[in-house]
Amino acid sequence: MRLAALVITLAAATALAECAAIPHDATRQAGELHGVWSVFLTAGAVVYALVAGLILWAAVAYRRRDRATVQAATFHQNVPLELAWTVIPVLIVAGLFAVTYAAERHVDSVVTPPGETVQIVGFRWSWRFLYPNHHVAVEGTSDRPPELVLPAGRTTEVRLTSSDVIHAFWVPAFLFKRDAIPGVVNVYDYTPLKEGVYPGRCAEYCGTFHAHMSFTVRVVSPEAYARWLRERGAAA
Amino acid sequence: MSAVAAPPRALAKEGLVAWLVTTDHKKIGILYMLTSLTFFLIAGFLADVMRLQLAAPQQTIVGPHEYNQVFTLHGTAMIFLFVAPFGFGLANYLIPLQIGAPEMAFPRLNAYSFWLFLLGGLTVFAGLISQGGAAASGWTAFAPLSDVRVSSGVGQDLWIIGLTLTSISGIMTAINFLVTPIVFRAPGMSMWRLPIFTWEMIATALLVLMAFPPLATAFAMLLLDRHAGARFFDPGGGGDPVLYQHVFWFFGHPEVYVMILPFFGVITEVVAVFSRKPVFGYTGLVLSAFGIAGLSMGVWAHHMFTTGAVANPFFSALSFLIAVPTGIKFFNWIATMWRGAISYETPMLFAIGFMLNFLIGGITGVMVASPPLDYHVEDSYFLVAHFHYTLGGGSMFAIFAALYFWFPKIWGVKLGERLGRVHFTLMFVGFNLAFFPMFLLGIMGMPRRVYTYPAQAGWGALNLASSAGVALITLATAVLVWNVIVSMRKRFPLADDPWGSASSLEWATSCPPPEFNFRAIPPIRSKRPAFDLHYPEYAKDSPK
Repeated sequence: MRLAALVITLAAATALAECAAIPHDATRQAGELHGVWSVFLTAGAVVYALVAGLILWAAVAYRRRDRATVQAATFHQNVPLELAWTVIPVLIVAGLFAVTYAAERHVDSVVTPPGETVQIVGFRWSWRFLYPNHHVAVEGTSDRPPELVLPAGRTTEVRLTSSDVIHAFWVPAFLFKRDAIPGVVNVYDYTPLKEGVYPGRCAEYCGTFHAHMSFTVRVVSPEAYARWLRERGAAA
Repeated sequence: MSAVAAPPRALAKEGLVAWLVTTDHKKIGILYMLTSLTFFLIAGFLADVMRLQLAAPQQTIVGPHEYNQVFTLHGTAMIFLFVAPFGFGLANYLIPLQIGAPEMAFPRLNAYSFWLFLLGGLTVFAGLISQGGAAASGWTAFAPLSDVRVSSGVGQDLWIIGLTLTSISGIMTAINFLVTPIVFRAPGMSMWRLPIFTWEMIATALLVLMAFPPLATAFAMLLLDRHAGARFFDPGGGGDPVLYQHVFWFFGHPEVYVMILPFFGVITEVVAVFSRKPVFGYTGLVLSAFGIAGLSMGVWAHHMFTTGAVANPFFSALSFLIAVPTGIKFFNWIATMWRGAISYETPMLFAIGFMLNFLIGGITGVMVASPPLDYHVEDSYFLVAHFHYTLGGGSMFAIFAALYFWFPKIWGVKLGERLGRVHFTLMFVGFNLAFFPMFLLGIMGMPRRVYTYPAQAGWGALNLASSAGVALITLATAVLVWNVIVSMRKRFPLADDPWGSASSLEWATSCPPPEFNFRAIPPIRSKRPAFDLHYPEYAKDSPK
């Protein structure tokens, strides 16, 4: 028992250390998503430690000691035990589902009216960013990845689509991606909290130069954002 | 007792012709397994090419055009031409033996489905010598990437046609797997005495019958879009690219269980034999197979969480629930080992390896079934790691367990134990070294299906570790091939049950079994007729 407790504690500690390595403060949404990661990584590590521990325990403790053994034991069912290992996992996944459902509702909900709006169009093999309220457009190539500029502390609505095949707009530091599908406009929002430059990539395989379909997201202060829009707008 | 007379010798054909015209379920099973293992070696070589290219950032061993064909063919071959068909081959060999039958219900249909499968596989690979090369839109061939305006080559058409042939072949095989155990059981072999492997194949056959027709449908629609202007998936013509994903994954997720249920059966048999105990929780194991099969029909859109086009909570909840029947299997295996007398011949080593690896695949499967987590890791290397832990660390390990376990039955030769242990050790270490780093790479932001990555991304060390792991897997596979060659030259007579404590009927006939399987079928009075026959003093303990 004490051994089992030790194994579980170690597993949970490892999981929490892993959680700490996952970024979580780049956006408001990433904070919530990170909470789900912590729960699942910890639960996963504990379940792994318990089940793998049982397998290895049985493998060592019940190794054959007498080569002549043909039948070691004959028990082959135990209804209460079998019910227990059916019902307890149902409760565990029900709990995990509750965590999932709560976080997903928050992350998928869209603030109206949005503070800012940006249209993102994926194409083979780069991205186009349009700020419709400011007449600003940024377009990259696979050699010159474009930069998406977002204001910190404000919610920006993203309207995502594609002009050819399916792509996916993934910013790993935001713990989030969404597919860019031709004929469909996917709407979600970002609320960046921390200024900085975050790399991003196309995650949905889209043909020959999929690997080069990268971009960066630069989160700046609202003042710097307004200045950038003015300069960009004037240049256009 | 019923006995089957051997046919007159003059009718039996010899040599190559015998294999070409055979309708014998054992020969067809062997052909299936040999063919699928050949595709495994080819797909493994393709994996070597990928891992060589990705071992360091910005390499140019292959270019994007080649790499994209390589990963497409790797996935296609492993899924459609190796894992599922190996299960079919094993079941072809074992089902009649396990139920005490002389043959499959429809032997000619069985032969036809093997040759159709082979033709389908060759058609897919024929793309390599076509203009523009083989298909390069991934094993999923999402529209509109697979549309003729984007993927104009003949390779994509050959891929679609080849896989349609294999799916038709699978449907016919499933009919045999379903009908044979229902109508061809020997006297005394009630349904509740069927070995777990046969039960798992019945569940698999039901899944194939429900899931493969939609696959053929998806491919027919693709082909019509490509060449008849149908525009099912073209948003410019009122079509919808997401529709393809619905139809494809309606096949694709049950397919995942077509590739694992047979091997849950293998592990159940192996664990019981080497623990020297009856299978624990027989009823639970049977019910959980059907539970998994049933749930797997309702989870397809968990592959589509990031499309923004599906009811994520519904598909997430059903996907989570699959963990429950899968957990039941794990607990039953552990309970079968409990208070056993476990010996570690190679099949049992691979069974333990299977459990430890598949456990990681299952737990990370619950993670990717949670949309908030999937938003980050969908289409990343985390996902690649997850499904390799189920299909590689899971199914492939069980295939090796099956290979060592039934090799003496099929060929009358035991594979070498010393080389078997070397094979297992290299494979277990190599597998985990190759695929565990991919979880971290995915969390760090590496997308799947990229032929290169920039040095400044910081993914070099983990990728190098992964490539080293694949080198070990390659070495392990060479050891297996060497073991087969060496062992085949050292023949000595084997008992009907060379493992010494086997239960199911295939161990109550010679190694290899005669034509039509049994000279005489032993009385079947429990769930372990072969054990009762060999150890009448313990027969009273056998679960009825």
